[in-house]
Amino acid sequence: MSEPVRILTGRWREPDTVWIDRYLETGGYEGLRRALAMSPQEVIEVVKASGLRGRGGAGFPTGVKWSFVPQDTGKPTYLVVNFDESEPGTFNNRELVERDPHQFLEGAIIAAYAVQSHTAFIYCRGEFLWPGRILERVVAEAYDRGFLGRDILGSGYDLEVVIHRGAGAYICGEETALLSSLEGYRGQPRLRPPFPAVEGLYASPTLINNVETLSNVPHILVNGPEWFRGFGPEKSPGTKLFSVSGKVERPGNYEAPMGTPARVVIEEMAGGVLGGKRLKAWTPGGSSTPFLTAEHLDVGLDFESIQAAGSLLGTGAIMVCDETDCMVEVTRRLLQFYAHESCGKCTPCREGTWWVVRVLGRIEAGAGRPEDLPLLDDQCTNMLFRGFCALVDGAVSPMSSSLAYFRDEYEAHVREHRCPVTGRGPGLVAEQGAREEAPAATTVPSWADLAEELG
Amino acid sequence: MSVEPEPVTLTIDGKEVTVPTGTLVIRAAEQLGIEIPRFCDHPFLDPVGACRQCYVEIEGQRKLFTACTTEVAAGMVVHTQNTSELAHEGQVANLEFLLINHPLDCPICDRGGECPLQDQTMAFGPGESRYIEPKRVYRKPIPLSPLVLLDRERCVLCARCTRFCDQISGDRFIEMFARGAGQQVAIAAGEDFRSPFSGNTIQICPVGALTASTYRFVARPFDVHVADGICGHCSAGCNVRVDVRRGEVVRVLARDNAEVNDAWICDKGRFAFRAADGPGRVTTPLIRERGLEPASFDEVLGRVAEWSRGARVAFLTGGRLADEDAFALSKLARVAFGTNDLDHRRAFHGGLAEELEAASALRVTYRDVERAGAILVVGLDAEQEVPILHLRIRKAARRGARVFVVHSRETRLSDVAEHLLCRPGQEGAVLERLIEGGAAGSDEERVARALRTAEGAVVLAGSLLAEHPLATDVALRLSRRLGAGFALVPRRAGDRGALRAGVHPALLPGGRRLAVASERAEVEAVWGELRSSEPGRNGREILEACARREIDVLFLVGVDPLRDVPDAALARRALENVPVKVVQSLELGELEPYADAFLPAAALHEREGHLTTWEGRSQRTRPVRAPAGLSRPDWEIFAGLAEAVGAPLGFGSVEELREEMEALLAPREVSERPTAWVGAGVPQWLDEVTLFTYPLLVDEGRLSEGASELKAALEEPAFVEVHPEDAERLHLADGGWARVRTGAGEATLPVRVSSRVAQGSVFVPFNQPGLEANRLLSGRFTAAATLEAVPGGGEGARGGEGIAGPEAKT
Ligand SMILES: Cc1cc2nc3c(=O)[nH]c(=O)nc-3n(C[C@H](O)[C@H](O)[C@H](O)COP(=O)(O)O)c2cc1C
Ligand code: SF4
Ligand code: SF4
Ligand code: SF4
Ligand code: FES
Repeated sequence: MSEPVRILTGRWREPDTVWIDRYLETGGYEGLRRALAMSPQEVIEVVKASGLRGRGGAGFPTGVKWSFVPQDTGKPTYLVVNFDESEPGTFNNRELVERDPHQFLEGAIIAAYAVQSHTAFIYCRGEFLWPGRILERVVAEAYDRGFLGRDILGSGYDLEVVIHRGAGAYICGEETALLSSLEGYRGQPRLRPPFPAVEGLYASPTLINNVETLSNVPHILVNGPEWFRGFGPEKSPGTKLFSVSGKVERPGNYEAPMGTPARVVIEEMAGGVLGGKRLKAWTPGGSSTPFLTAEHLDVGLDFESIQAAGSLLGTGAIMVCDETDCMVEVTRRLLQFYAHESCGKCTPCREGTWWVVRVLGRIEAGAGRPEDLPLLDDQCTNMLFRGFCALVDGAVSPMSSSLAYFRDEYEAHVREHRCPVTGRGPGLVAEQGAREEAPAATTVPSWADLAEELG
Repeated sequence: MSVEPEPVTLTIDGKEVTVPTGTLVIRAAEQLGIEIPRFCDHPFLDPVGACRQCYVEIEGQRKLFTACTTEVAAGMVVHTQNTSELAHEGQVANLEFLLINHPLDCPICDRGGECPLQDQTMAFGPGESRYIEPKRVYRKPIPLSPLVLLDRERCVLCARCTRFCDQISGDRFIEMFARGAGQQVAIAAGEDFRSPFSGNTIQICPVGALTASTYRFVARPFDVHVADGICGHCSAGCNVRVDVRRGEVVRVLARDNAEVNDAWICDKGRFAFRAADGPGRVTTPLIRERGLEPASFDEVLGRVAEWSRGARVAFLTGGRLADEDAFALSKLARVAFGTNDLDHRRAFHGGLAEELEAASALRVTYRDVERAGAILVVGLDAEQEVPILHLRIRKAARRGARVFVVHSRETRLSDVAEHLLCRPGQEGAVLERLIEGGAAGSDEERVARALRTAEGAVVLAGSLLAEHPLATDVALRLSRRLGAGFALVPRRAGDRGALRAGVHPALLPGGRRLAVASERAEVEAVWGELRSSEPGRNGREILEACARREIDVLFLVGVDPLRDVPDAALARRALENVPVKVVQSLELGELEPYADAFLPAAALHEREGHLTTWEGRSQRTRPVRAPAGLSRPDWEIFAGLAEAVGAPLGFGSVEELREEMEALLAPREVSERPTAWVGAGVPQWLDEVTLFTYPLLVDEGRLSEGASELKAALEEPAFVEVHPEDAERLHLADGGWARVRTGAGEATLPVRVSSRVAQGSVFVPFNQPGLEANRLLSGRFTAAATLEAVPGGGEGARGGEGIAGPEAKT
């Protein structure tokens, strides 16, 4: 086992580094000093040269994105930090903020400087009460020490930071929905184009980056792009923080260079499958990325390799299922998440997720029909890339991949009217289904009814 | 200002089409006659891409694209459902999704038979559903207002309704609530959908989720007669479709006309359609014997002719006459009776501005407003007076126009416009200051600069401005100074047509001045020599002459002076003293005790004719049913009367009538000359407060009779609106009561304290339940007033709702 790399997690072993004194003692804000000594354009070039790619899911080259933000538009330019982290299985942003918040804040200030933004918003997931408090404190610290506010470090550059709390919707992590929410509207995605870089927040140029993406930036400024490219493969340089959860011995965030085989992360870092059981399925990048199986454990965890294996690196959230997990149940539960989080704007997502949850639930409960499997296949086709945003594509991932890899399990449910894995029959499942879905499965409580009841 | 976008050529289903850059694929397809199914797309709303019904395949692209959000590109090759199996399958699948939670209660749905969801399912959809799970159900329906009902389970969540409120009317009463399959249209608890444009959401809803309380379970598309009409409720000239079932009007819909009303109408135009079918309608000619007794048309016309022969005759008209009627009347008065005592106006513009409007048409159009760089609105509450113009001003604002309003009361343009509030009567002074450029550092300076520098500025002057002698000419002068377009915006549907026809004591058809020989001669060339070249009496002078018994026969054509004239006492004296009163109308109403003869007129939707918009655009309206009973179009009655007095008008058909109109109403150039505003710079009112009034959209007006749902939704009881500082000085509290006294009378009204009104002014609506404001007026729509708090609510009149019991005394 090779020496673990610690870049993003370098300060994690020391609890004190949460606050600014220790952060400064450990080289903090050096990246910002270097950035401010350069022109914004030079900073962008450095980040471009590093090959850093966005960690929020799509993997878009960060420096290129920065260079898309137009200058001299006569409008303000905004930086928005996407800290809505809600993808199931993903928790690296949260720990990055809880353990080393100044690291990403420094990255954010550098990013803002690079695009010449003077106002930055941090969109913090609503449920993140504790990380939100930490954010408030570290932002105050940064103001106190002159890393935020007017004339930062005597450079003449000004930046104000506003922390905004979300209200608990997964869709608000999608960048355009996030902007709507930030503006005080319903969190629903907007048409692109215009792209946020050109017409984002308040119809002004806006750069949106993920917390993990920004956490890399100070290190790139301090150590240079070549150093950064020293980790990981050519097209996916750097390290990645993998959130490992599910049936493993030691769930948690593990930093490893991009391209590290999944087996290393799951078996060595996270201690292998819980109780020594057999691994059945895993997601490489959260619930929105297609399942892979034990066969894929030697695939490198980087954008290209995972894609070649038929999935996506997504957020790098590895969720592990073992041989005792029923894949129909797992899929139903995940789809229930998407049905719940669908913003409702577009038909294939809103109605499609509603429908397949019910079909999956029926199969799970032993009431599946042979024609349900082709029906689900069809719905995968009818939902994938048909929605307004990528949420529905994410919803299709677990369904299409489990139907592909574990079709026999579905078929057994239909044939035997019970779960071939857990042995549960209709009674048990029905009871559980009732608990989870309640009779509300058919009656949606409405705001208007509620309002009426309240008078 | 607008640079024409470059044309782009693309191919759709193998056919080439060239359209401007920026065109959406769905629009380009329409140009080729290719229909792509859609629900959320609406040509007058911003693209949203929500329903996903309009999938097309674009060569070189892996995914399907939504045609309603995709802009054309040069060389793009598009395949719709007609030529792409993939697009077709995508559409079928999407319809299947849309229907899984749809109740399929078409047999009891108002939309059945004219439902885009039905139609598109038939045309493009799956034959059967594979959905076997329980459907989502909701309690139904939810009333959003007394007019609009929502059946949520039918809703396809296309957001047309909510986008209309957001983008078009600016009344954001309804919104999407909740999310996922639970997403639904909703309204805040305790709120009503109190928008005067709410009905448009019903019309653009692509399913039967929004229905009208007036039409629920009333008719099916196949059992109504329909005709294309023009709305007669205001000068906006909205194009409408009128549906009649078994002889009764059951529904009015907007027709699309991008030059006029886009796709919208207001709720009055949509829901106030029962006036002609009400119990008050009289459809038989009547003559006073012992009482008013039925008689034949010939008999009544003969008697009226007898009374009129050699008598002093005068004509007052209301605002509902069609262009043909107004023209026939203008000729009747002058040719058959030799009088110039005729008028259609309630307020008197006078001056050059009025002449210009009478002479030439379409000097400012809706399109000019829409494309204006800046708009100055003076003395006009467009939302209440000409609602569709209000929407057009909002549209202009959305396109970047700067909008300014000079008024005594803030209008519902307040979110897109800057208001310069002034006391009634001081509008002219504000305009004068704008002409001079405004004092350094003042609001007026800023506004003047914005207007001067804008490209394509427009000045819109409303009828409140017409109150003040020649103030409209000041507005005209300002527009000339700015190089801006100018329009007088009358309120009533027949106003512009009547002015152009010369239902006016000093102006002949086409705005020709009676007193100017050369202009008179142009009319005489068609009508023969006119007996009098002296301008006649205006409306007020006619009533005064009646009161002094200087007139023998008064014709009241679609007008009830007791309610319409801003001086109830004078109207009563006039009716009591003029020997003969001939009423020509749809009903008698309060004139019953006075009328000596009644001539039943046909309603607008019972006859052929034209109405002229505030812009001067003459639009044809067609009958949807025959005139009720013995009633006739007004112009036919005038022709009959001319016949009876032995001076035929010379036209036996609408065609002949229109020929003559075209000859005299062709646009003319008017040489501009300076006119002076008499009150320039001088405050006109020195009293404690100035009361002013104008009618609100939904009021007790005759044309809204029977529109109970509309009134329940939008009609406000009478009130008096007072500025907070005046309220404090006068010890008036919001929600309390005040006694309002003017020289003409007094009334006790509930008080609204609001900084919407200019300081020093109080507003009372003209004709709301509880007060006919003309009892407080002496000839103008403004009056000096005193206000006094009435403790305990006006003789205990304050009802449980705090609305009952305002009373007026004279
Ligand atoms: C449904 C949905 C949810 C998303 N949630 C998040 C999120 O919670 N955090 C995040 O950083 N990006 C999220 N994204 C991706 C963002 O849209 C965006 O690509 C990202 O914030 C860009 O930052 P990056 O370039 O630094 O990766 C989400 C995307 C989708 C479609
Ligand atoms: S796919 Fe459609 S319904 Fe689903 S979250 Fe995106 S916009 Fe909303
Ligand atoms: S009520 Fe009608 S218009 Fe409104 S969202 Fe539903 S279907 Fe669309
Ligand atoms: S705006 Fe005027 S013309 Fe149009 S519908 Fe309303 S009342 Fe009728
Ligand atoms: S019509 Fe195109 S998405 Fe609705």
